[in-house]
Amino acid sequence: MKQLQIIILLVIVMLTGIDMTQSMADLSGKLIIFHAGSLSVPFAAMEKHFESKYPGLDILREAGGSTKMARMISEVGKTADIMASADYKVIDKSLIPSHASWNIRFASNQLVLCYTKNSQYASEINQTNWYQILSKKGVIWGHSDPNLDPCGYRSLMVLQLAEKYYKVQGLYDRLIANRPKRNIRPKSVELISLLQTGNMDYAWEYLSVAIQHKLKYVKLDDHINLGNYQLDSYYSHAKVSVSGKKPKSTFLRVGKSCTYGITLIKNAPHKETAVNFLNYLFDPDGGLAILKNMGQPPFIPCRVPTSTMKDKLPELLKKRVVVKN
Amino acid sequence: MKRYYDPFMMISIISCVSVLLFILIPLIQMLLAPSWEMITESIRDPDIQRAIGLSLYTSGMAALIAFIIGTPFAYLLARKTFFGKRVVEGIIDLPIVIPHPVIGIAILGIVGKQHWLGAFLHSMGVRLMGTISGIVIVLTFVGMPFYINTVKNGFEAIPVRLEHVSRSLGASFRSTFFRITLPLAFRSIIVGFIMCFARAISEFGAVVVVAYHPMTAPVLIYERFTAYGLKYSQPIAVLLILVSLMLFVALRLISKKDMNI
Amino acid sequence: MIQIHNLCIQLSEFSLKNINIHIKEHEFFVLLGPTGSGKTLLVESIAGLTPITSGKIIIKGQDMTHAPPEKRKVGIVYQDYALFPHMTVMENIQYGLAYHTHGPDDLQRIQDLMTKTGIIKLSHRKIKHLSGGEKQRIALIRALAVNPSVVLLDEPLSSLDPGFRDDIQNLLKMLHKNTGTTFLMVTHNFAEAFFLGERGAILNQGVLEQCSPVDALFSSPQTPFVARFVGFKNIFRAQIKNNLAKTNHFELEIPPPILPDVDQICFRGEDIQVFSTRPNSNQRNTLYGKIQNIIDRGPYFDLSINVNNTLIHVSMTKSELINNAYCVEKEIYLVIPNQAIHTLAADKTYVENEFPNLGNT
Repeated sequence: MKQLQIIILLVIVMLTGIDMTQSMADLSGKLIIFHAGSLSVPFAAMEKHFESKYPGLDILREAGGSTKMARMISEVGKTADIMASADYKVIDKSLIPSHASWNIRFASNQLVLCYTKNSQYASEINQTNWYQILSKKGVIWGHSDPNLDPCGYRSLMVLQLAEKYYKVQGLYDRLIANRPKRNIRPKSVELISLLQTGNMDYAWEYLSVAIQHKLKYVKLDDHINLGNYQLDSYYSHAKVSVSGKKPKSTFLRVGKSCTYGITLIKNAPHKETAVNFLNYLFDPDGGLAILKNMGQPPFIPCRVPTSTMKDKLPELLKKRVVVKN
Repeated sequence: MKRYYDPFMMISIISCVSVLLFILIPLIQMLLAPSWEMITESIRDPDIQRAIGLSLYTSGMAALIAFIIGTPFAYLLARKTFFGKRVVEGIIDLPIVIPHPVIGIAILGIVGKQHWLGAFLHSMGVRLMGTISGIVIVLTFVGMPFYINTVKNGFEAIPVRLEHVSRSLGASFRSTFFRITLPLAFRSIIVGFIMCFARAISEFGAVVVVAYHPMTAPVLIYERFTAYGLKYSQPIAVLLILVSLMLFVALRLISKKDMNI
Repeated sequence: MIQIHNLCIQLSEFSLKNINIHIKEHEFFVLLGPTGSGKTLLVESIAGLTPITSGKIIIKGQDMTHAPPEKRKVGIVYQDYALFPHMTVMENIQYGLAYHTHGPDDLQRIQDLMTKTGIIKLSHRKIKHLSGGEKQRIALIRALAVNPSVVLLDEPLSSLDPGFRDDIQNLLKMLHKNTGTTFLMVTHNFAEAFFLGERGAILNQGVLEQCSPVDALFSSPQTPFVARFVGFKNIFRAQIKNNLAKTNHFELEIPPPILPDVDQICFRGEDIQVFSTRPNSNQRNTLYGKIQNIIDRGPYFDLSINVNNTLIHVSMTKSELINNAYCVEKEIYLVIPNQAIHTLAADKTYVENEFPNLGNT
């Protein structure tokens, strides 16, 4: 009889104990986020901050070229809760409607030409002579793979727009001729270590990434840096052919200002946690503030293109977005 | 009379079967997965031909360099004791224990202009990032220990008294090496060469950091996998497995014939 | 024609100290000593295969101390023959000819040797399946083919069956006589050294104990180690003055010692005469004792005799024991002829050149 009483007492204590811990941390377990390489630094900061609020939670991030990351979900069948892309169009094309049903645009960016103090002609380069320096023989410069990373095809678009804007015929072809294939890397952030070790002189990167890694950079005119959405019609003159779902198949990407998109994957294994995280991300004092401090201008508030899409959003997130195309 | 089954024997048989299945099931699945058309299409694909050709060429160069530089070193280790020999042998084995991407990052770090060696190379017009030479250097780094250890054992198996007799009969060190030592070590040199070659051809982590383009076969397989999925990477994987298997068979055939000294 | 002056080899765990040996031309010299005494090390240093710490090696009048092995014309035959496995018998034998000018006479000489030793029919065989004896012959002829100044043999008979030993011993003797080459043979077996050798040296833990004609090693040891090595079972400390040796247990008349500072005497068990009754009083060196122990060694007996509380070892034939009914506890008389007694100096080694007259007994 006494034994039974002790057991009942222990069970009650355990249950109350569980209850107590439950109320302290609602979220626990894992959260899988795939995201663009250029979001690595701000997302790492968000991960730290969010995990400190919920100690039982483990956020697992995987970064890469946004095109590649999306294909990992759609073609390779890898599991993820959230996908954040440097180009929202990647989500539209590769994930909606089979793997996602909405797409929130949350930040912008622009392209800059990064370098270090040890790069060739580092002391001379500026906004007007950069394309002449990149044309010089012996200057090692590169960009990421257009087939795997939006920064890659955006870099090519910048060059095409430069030819048009500076009215220099054949500039694009000349520049590409001075950029051998070995200077292409799958992910734009890989170019940074090449800059830092002195294996490369110049690399095309996002402004936010240049700031986060304390690189020197050349800022370009708005007409060519893909940073101003009001110049979208000018940007649309740039067209780059990238590979499609199968090797050898291609389709055309059209120039547009850098707009980052994010979505919740259908059949996400940790849906509730994911929605909570997105709520934090879209908080102007939460994730968006981190983005701003790290040199990446966020949209405050975040946007969806149509009200139909807004209706599809989880309740918690509806208040965080406005309808704006 | 009931037969007695030793329980340890049973455990051994179970573990034997488990290990064999563990190795064979994924490989067999890989070989059978792609359709015949996909494989023939892959054989005709110039990107794939280029990648496999590059893998064969760079691995062969790495094995050749290992042969030229590693053979005298292996002989020294086999015949001489000296202060710090243990440390030297440990250093030779380092490339085996260092994680592959770390190797690639380390090499990348020294061939860039920020490092004095890289600055010197750049001033000579030598580029190693993203070049065939860079790949060969990485592969030599990872394959060298396999060559040296194999050949060292080969030299050790030759009794030093044979070399002593040769010297006593009037042959110089050089003459002895080419008439006695090398012919008797020939088999282990071939085995070492193939082991280095096989190790080099399968290297991925170190190569992809130093050179994404030009693409070796393992890098192409990975790129196809991440960009297009399983279906498009399997045929190349099959072709690479077949090439590796041919090397493996050659290795077994040569090392089987024993030398009775 | 091989002179070794003050040779020292210092290794981490062993050292050869101050070896002085002189080997004459055409001689059959034997190097004796227990395993680990440094014989192989000394031989390899003569061949130039091991570096030396200090000293000189002079071969046929030329200083070869720092010469590489291929210049010394010193052949070496190892215990395991060390034949080249990837070559035929003939290729093995002719291996060294490529490095020495040779003519048809040399080839004929080699052919003769091969015929004499019975291996001519093996010329084109690979060495893989040959017998030990055949390999031995091939190794010997290979070394002799290049007319070396000296052939070093490292324990050539150790790995052979006793039945073969006699054959190979005769073979070695024949080859030595036939070619006139100087032989230096290393062994730890005294019997074969005695049969084959003319002069010899005994090494003990890196130290040269004695170097003299072989029969002198046997009959006139100069150090306690050599005495024990060649079979002297009775070695005693003694105060020696002129021709009297006084141990703690008995006194003996001895021939006047030749070496200075001698403090020990020794005599063989086989040289002692045993009597059941006291011999006449004129007989010198008579000792009285009691048989304490009898050990049957097969062809002979070893007896331990208690003489004044110390043991003297005697060897006698079976018939002698039986005829005299010797048994334990029996009282007997020992007579030790004074020529059979030798004097030794402990902690001293015998260097031949200092005492050139010794050994002419």
